[in-house]
Amino acid sequence: MNVKAFFVDALTSALDLGIARPDDVLRHVTPDTLAQHLPRPLWARLLTACLGAPRVDAQLVIETIGLPNLAEHLPAQLIWAVIADVGGRALGHAQDAPVVVAKPRTPTTPPPPRPLTAPPPPEVVVAAPRPTPQPMPAVGPDIPAPASAALADLINELENDQPAPARSRMPTAQRFRQSNTGIGRLGSAQRRPQVAATPAAGRPARRGGTEVSDESVGAEIAVDDSQLVDWSSAEQTQATDDDFTDLGRKR
Amino acid sequence: MSQDQRQAWFARVVESGLQNQIFNPSDVLAHATPDVLATHLPPELLSKVLQASLTAGSMTPERVLETVTPEMLARHVPHEVLWACIAAAAARAGLTNQVVP
Repeated sequence: MNVKAFFVDALTSALDLGIARPDDVLRHVTPDTLAQHLPRPLWARLLTACLGAPRVDAQLVIETIGLPNLAEHLPAQLIWAVIADVGGRALGHAQDAPVVVAKPRTPTTPPPPRPLTAPPPPEVVVAAPRPTPQPMPAVGPDIPAPASAALADLINELENDQPAPARSRMPTAQRFRQSNTGIGRLGSAQRRPQVAATPAAGRPARRGGTEVSDESVGAEIAVDDSQLVDWSSAEQTQATDDDFTDLGRKR
Repeated sequence: MSQDQRQAWFARVVESGLQNQIFNPSDVLAHATPDVLATHLPPELLSKVLQASLTAGSMTPERVLETVTPEMLARHVPHEVLWACIAAAAARAGLTNQVVP
């Protein structure tokens, strides 16, 4: 009894006839199995072929090792499992041959068996050709009015081919995160408390609209020259208080 | 796979099994029984089998398979029958854990 020759014949013919694919062989002959049973020289040949090949797949592995070598070195139960798998599928059965492995592996659920021959499709009843329908009048759907005014403006612009009036722009939210420098507090509306100015003695702090001053308009006031300011050469005005309200807006 | 491919593969496997003595003609006829052959073989092939046996004076499994070649078996006998023969031989050889029928 030459089991190995039988294995080679069965697998070779199955691959040649398209009954089996190289993937079917490697489903049982896993890399772990090859590592356990394949001699080192064959491993060297396989590695050399894989390194030089643009694509490594099951076909390359099978062709490089060769079915006679697989049948020679791998356990007979393993090769038979491949043949049994192929035979079962050829009969239209599910893959009932268990995968023989040296190490436990995650069982894979085989796909449900599919019939090899599908029943013929039902006869198609060809009905009498229907006349070509008349084109329907161009009646569009009842489109509701747009809900927003902005959308209405856009629609008017598109329909009239005229630019829509400028729409008021809503203020956008702040797009940048405020820094932690505290400078924003200077620009806030809060003012630091100030001391109320004391009015000069003998005269009201502010005159009313109908109030008439008792002082003479043309009275001379003694002014020192050092108190005069040359406004024409002055480049900047000097702030008189600590109001930095504009500072926050300038940033 | 097409029917021709499946048929060719079964023919090759049966032929190889016989050549490599995985099973013998008696094992084949243990599954491809006379009832099976009579049911599925065409009349002209049945006639040849009978004629060969009459000429030789006996009908042995070997002689039957000389006429009903593996190719003829794969063409006419249900593949389930042939597979049962192959699987039984594998079980006898200790290749499977299945019970030998």
